[in-house]
Amino acid sequence: MPAKFDLNDSSVVVIVGSGAGGGTLANELAKKGISVVVLEAGKRMEMTDFKNDEIGMFGAFSWLDPRTASGTWYVAKTSPDLPAWICKLVGGTTVHWGAVALRFQEHEFKTRSRYGAVAGANLLDWPIDLNELAPYYDRAEMRMGVTGTHGIPRLPASNHCKVLFAGAKKIGYTKYWTTNLAVNPVPRDGRAGCQQTGFCVQGCTFGAKWSTLYVDIPQAEATGKAEVRAESQVLRIEHDASGKVTGVVYADAAGKLQRQKARIVCVAGNSIESPRLLLNSSSSLFPQGLANSSGQVGRNYMRHTTSLVFAAFDNPVHMYRGTANGGIVMDEARLDTKRGFVGGYNLETLPQGLPSFATNLMPGEWGRDRAFWVDNYVNIAGVWIIGEDLARETNRVTLHPDRKDKFGMPIPNVHVDDHPNDLAMQNHALGQADALYKSIGAKRTLHRLPFPSTHNMGTNRMSEKPADGVVNRFGRAHDIKNLFISDGSQFTSSGGENPTLTIVALALRQSEYIADQMSKGAI
Amino acid sequence: MGLFDWAGKLSRRGFLAGGAATIAAVAVTGPTILADPKNAAAETAGLSAEESRALLKFVRDLFPHDRLDNSFYAKAIAPLQDEAAKDPGTRKLLADGIAQLNASVGKAYVDVTDESVRVAAIKKIEGGAFFTKVYGGAMTPLYNQPELWPKFGYEGPSSALGGYLHRGFNDIDWL
Repeated sequence: MPAKFDLNDSSVVVIVGSGAGGGTLANELAKKGISVVVLEAGKRMEMTDFKNDEIGMFGAFSWLDPRTASGTWYVAKTSPDLPAWICKLVGGTTVHWGAVALRFQEHEFKTRSRYGAVAGANLLDWPIDLNELAPYYDRAEMRMGVTGTHGIPRLPASNHCKVLFAGAKKIGYTKYWTTNLAVNPVPRDGRAGCQQTGFCVQGCTFGAKWSTLYVDIPQAEATGKAEVRAESQVLRIEHDASGKVTGVVYADAAGKLQRQKARIVCVAGNSIESPRLLLNSSSSLFPQGLANSSGQVGRNYMRHTTSLVFAAFDNPVHMYRGTANGGIVMDEARLDTKRGFVGGYNLETLPQGLPSFATNLMPGEWGRDRAFWVDNYVNIAGVWIIGEDLARETNRVTLHPDRKDKFGMPIPNVHVDDHPNDLAMQNHALGQADALYKSIGAKRTLHRLPFPSTHNMGTNRMSEKPADGVVNRFGRAHDIKNLFISDGSQFTSSGGENPTLTIVALALRQSEYIADQMSKGAI
Repeated sequence: MGLFDWAGKLSRRGFLAGGAATIAAVAVTGPTILADPKNAAAETAGLSAEESRALLKFVRDLFPHDRLDNSFYAKAIAPLQDEAAKDPGTRKLLADGIAQLNASVGKAYVDVTDESVRVAAIKKIEGGAFFTKVYGGAMTPLYNQPELWPKFGYEGPSSALGGYLHRGFNDIDWL
């Protein structure tokens, strides 16, 4: 039974956002008996609302509020008003995610120590390491039901995976398999097993894929300690004269401003909205924005070094059949600077249905060369490069100087200039993917350069010293002891792995810290 | 351009099924998709039959698939035709673009049988306002037609059929 809290109830923990970070945190805190109000900007949809309709679902739950992009990155040219492809609904981007659930590697927590001082980058070690996070990775994998971990079998390989694996084998790779996925291979935890439907990104219609929408949020509500308010966009976080946060102002479903008081505020709005909210909460006490004495809020924005490579064969692949991000090649994920860059990358299958493929293929291109790819649709395989993107201070989310959203809140701008390391890694990966597919008879390959990012990280980063970042080892703001960051914006580095598992592990760890501090009366 | 223009390029004829989706599309495109009441009240003629034929040919040249008959391209240009009928600015943009294509080839664009001549005419206007409008306006309505998908071997929605678990997700035999 969902709880119902009064706006003036200052004992509640307010969580902004209900995705991987916010949804997990809400569930954990509620199960510990802590009163939680989740404010989610998007609407509430149910599994039955999902359709196998790429374009319809894109319109139905993507975050389409105005944003701008600038910088040298390809996205600023091809998609200047949509720098990120994330979701706006209860469950956040866990509705859309491909369910790849990988742990970061040991060295990726210590980039400054291991990579050295890379010119033009702002590398920093996380204040925590893999050992410290490992027990939470274990718990995250068990609760999400990650294949290939804790005795949960891997999914069978689809045609699309088999093509990737055959090429990988041919060019001498050895680390390829159906990837660790938070997708049930068989019924588990009250949810169905995967039917190899292929529309993972449009919302899993069987619930085989883990999402906070139908896992954590209902569990949190069932405790009687959690209330989820959909269509509630937080505009400002407020504080008292001592600098402690006291609550939030949000626009409700009717567009009316409300003030929810709070004992603690946890921000989990993804790496664009979270810094936007902190920056928009500036005051005479915090003129640079909340939690921003370091000046690092919004900075060090990282997506992933990315691209797609499509290959056309003489025979059918039917890439759309089966779990989307089914297969992975991990041979290049290692740290090996002999390749000409620091960090590593993974190669993951990323099929597209025909509407998505045909419209997204070659921005601005036309004619027979473009048509070739659509004509050969059934014979095409595609792989997604996902590699470590380096933190740069100047890659950042800022408030737009002029443009405002419908509630009068400045819209965010996302600025990215590619670092030479990113481009070196991208070129290496494009070459390897070409070689992989050509080794098994691809007649042509196509490079689709970076598109709007679903992985967004780093804009409120974790640091040992307050001067270097925004939050401490528990995601608590260095400047404000009852303000937490609970999403991927905490990341100090981006790793070469999909970020969700790490977001969930951090949320589990943070929930213990918050409960402990509350019970001690420390916050 | 491309995938991430989806929300802005969807037609009023309802390529988005469902109210929530339509609201999202309208919210993001704002005034460009909503007919200006002033214009709706005015008697604006849409494209002529001749202009529509040229527009169809142009879209066919942008996205040339020999396996598709003209009915698919007719559906692809329908949202642009609708918009031209309601908005004189769009009508003028399209009519001027077509006139420019005609002038470039020295006769009616649709009557040029040599594809390379038409391609050369398109290259001259590539990236311009007319080109961009038609490219973005026709691409999604072309490729998002369920009737078109089987022509390219795409099987479309699969949930209602139980996914591909028992329908060939791993049936590859040539590796």
